[in-house]
Amino acid sequence: MDLLNGVRVLELGGDTSAPFCARLLADYGAEVIKIEAPGAGDSCRSKGPFAGDDPHPEKSLPFLYLNTNKLGITLDVSSSTGRNILARLVADSDIVVQNFSPQEMENLGLNYSRLSADNPEIIAVSITPFGLSGPLRDSPATDIEVFAYSGHLYHSGDSDREPLRNALDQAWYVAGVNAATAAMAALFQRLFTGVGQQVEVSAAECLATHMVQAVPYYDYMGAIKGRRPVRGSGFEELMPARDGYVVPSVQGSQPWAVVADLIGLDELKEEKFVSGSGRIEHGEELKDLLIKGLAEWDRKPLFEASGERRLVFGMAQDAGDLYDCPHLAERDFFVEVDHPVAGAVQYPGFGPLLQGEPYQVRRRAPLLGEHNREIYRGRMGLLDEETICLRACGVI
Amino acid sequence: MGNAPLAGIRVVDLSRVFAMPYVGAYLADLGAEVIKIDTHHAAFVDTTRTLTGPYPNNEPGEDFWNRAGTFQTLNRGKRSITLDLRSEDGIRRLLDLIAISDVVLENFTPRVSRRFGLDYANLREVRPDLVLVSNTGYGHSGPWSAFGAMASALEPTHGSGAFMGYLEPGDDGRLTGSPTPNKIGNSYTDFLACWSAQLAILSALYRRALTGKGVWVDLAMYQTGVSFFGEGLLDFAFNGRRTRRLGNRHPSRSPHGCYPCRGVDCWVALSVRDDEDWGALCKAIGQPSLAFESRFADPVIWYENQDELDTIIAEWTSDKTQDEVVTTLQEHGVPAAPVQNAAQLLRDAHLRERGFFEEVAFPQSSDMGSSTLLGRGWRLSGAEVKARGPAPDMGEANEYVLGRMLGLSQGEIQRLRKEQVIGEQLNGGARPGVVPLERQAELGWIAGYESDFDRRDEQGS
Repeated sequence: MDLLNGVRVLELGGDTSAPFCARLLADYGAEVIKIEAPGAGDSCRSKGPFAGDDPHPEKSLPFLYLNTNKLGITLDVSSSTGRNILARLVADSDIVVQNFSPQEMENLGLNYSRLSADNPEIIAVSITPFGLSGPLRDSPATDIEVFAYSGHLYHSGDSDREPLRNALDQAWYVAGVNAATAAMAALFQRLFTGVGQQVEVSAAECLATHMVQAVPYYDYMGAIKGRRPVRGSGFEELMPARDGYVVPSVQGSQPWAVVADLIGLDELKEEKFVSGSGRIEHGEELKDLLIKGLAEWDRKPLFEASGERRLVFGMAQDAGDLYDCPHLAERDFFVEVDHPVAGAVQYPGFGPLLQGEPYQVRRRAPLLGEHNREIYRGRMGLLDEETICLRACGVI
Repeated sequence: MGNAPLAGIRVVDLSRVFAMPYVGAYLADLGAEVIKIDTHHAAFVDTTRTLTGPYPNNEPGEDFWNRAGTFQTLNRGKRSITLDLRSEDGIRRLLDLIAISDVVLENFTPRVSRRFGLDYANLREVRPDLVLVSNTGYGHSGPWSAFGAMASALEPTHGSGAFMGYLEPGDDGRLTGSPTPNKIGNSYTDFLACWSAQLAILSALYRRALTGKGVWVDLAMYQTGVSFFGEGLLDFAFNGRRTRRLGNRHPSRSPHGCYPCRGVDCWVALSVRDDEDWGALCKAIGQPSLAFESRFADPVIWYENQDELDTIIAEWTSDKTQDEVVTTLQEHGVPAAPVQNAAQLLRDAHLRERGFFEEVAFPQSSDMGSSTLLGRGWRLSGAEVKARGPAPDMGEANEYVLGRMLGLSQGEIQRLRKEQVIGEQLNGGARPGVVPLERQAELGWIAGYESDFDRRDEQGS
């Protein structure tokens, strides 16, 4: 995972989107310096859940997850002294990623014109809910509004109930990975042009790009896709099994007989269920049979038996199931990380494996201001007296 | 294409369906030359050409495999050649093309990929500095490696449903998290894989430019999915908590949810981040004194009275239009947004002003007019990034790629065509039917449709 060795990244802002973007770059080997405000630090530090359910700035689980492989310093970028120090760090970096609001960016001197004056080669990434232009530019939004506005929320949940959100602030994760991708496109281009550029990320637009079915459905034939249908055969949907929920599927290249045989009810082998149109026509009856058949199965044996028959079933797993998953274990997905305040547990790892090599956590999430000395003295060459002075007046 | 970031990069795109083809589309937007390896044999064709649709005015037409809307979005700006990879000729020409390419995208199962000789060890012999992305459900190692997959079954498998579920009345009558998981839907996992692959490719190309080394990306969608839910997993590791299903509520913000507006299936999302938002919300709904009532006085009591609070807000929203509710709340500074469907999204003033949607025109010889494509969630100030044209007709670049790029003679190309290694018309398979919109609306499979919709009117406007 050393693709980005030698790339230097500064991260400002906090919560989820910019930290996730920077973490992905760090996972690929970039050196990331996370800059937090002195005092409270990243707002994510006060976001639960907490290790041991104990609210503490070093025990926020989102924070611990989003900030591995980074160095952490404190700096008050709203003071002119702090902004000057930031300018020196920017001059020495390749990428700056931030998720301040457009107004805050202006106020803090973090807009592109100021950052490119600090370093004309800088790739300056901003992540905002709606982008840096347009009528909604300054509208505040949290994850649920971004999801709603993008078209995603309308399609999530059941068709006979209200739209339903996922609880884990997914909008900011999607924005974060898109931001990292766009930053790398700009950095790659810089190899040939020698100049930096601004990367503007709109979280709402990132999610709107997922509408690859719903938008053509309307654009091509005037139809509005909706949420999960409650009526139908139950295939491709979450259905109850003995110990939880599974997703039976008729997708893939296998004939119906393989599905019917797996679930194991003779009635399913009847001619009327063989074709797709037959299964739609007799959907209600099929659903009743499916419920009856699935009641004899536990999730995992059914899932594994379906995979062995080249079917593409799924099963609903919770966090505990995933920690127990033999497949993730064999791919060395979980990595032990020790933290002096929160303690040691296995952390979930990374999506892609490169060359079949396991993912590594080089550093746990930084304590607030943990690397001030290393960066300010070691990297920037400030004297002890200077750092004491900065600390005294609250800049670091 | 003077300042396109990936100008000069050639991509061989063997992938099918959603996740990886969309990667290829974005690489084309960034200026890469992306060659889609199609097959004209119906049994192995990319199903987004045939099954996914939708077709203009719900009419598949003669060459339906060139006309599907979702296919257009996922394959814009690419070239297409057909190769039957079951034949020696097909594999040989593919390897010839890979030898002069930089990136290969494929999403065969490990078994099929090995059968075609497309594993990294083999391809590295052909092109030593190749960037290869192998996207699969479960990756190229581990006990589930051979399993096929699709996003809608993967989503609950990688844990999304542990953090998603409606509220149901509990024993005491108050709403509580349901034990039933739910889904984000929209093929969500496909996009997590898509974005992760793009980042891996651009990072790999960066390293390759500096060191000359290629890389193999073993992208398992299952594992990738889990990594987007990591903060939820840590709650199990540290606290033993397996699920967090809160309906539309939030662990530390209240109110926070999705409320009905006047009309059919019209909703608004809103959230209150702090005391300032709370005061503003109370004012916006015309009940400023609510902010001082004892049942909402401190965070703990407030949290316990959420059912009541939601009822008060829903009473206010339900007799107003979505637009009225959103405008009022936004004017008061409360985070609020309409829950938009695709029709609203396409007409949205903010997205229009920002030029989010991109129009690509089809050749005049087709009756397709133009297509409205989803753009990207990001913009680069110093680069030309855009959809460079419609998705390719099947095999449209057979002559160009096989003849001009690989140097095959006309006679040789004719032979390949005669032996059905290549072809420009779908071989076999049934024409997709018209989508029964009325029946689908009845069953709740679609939320609705415009019975007088005519795409030609939209194109004229």
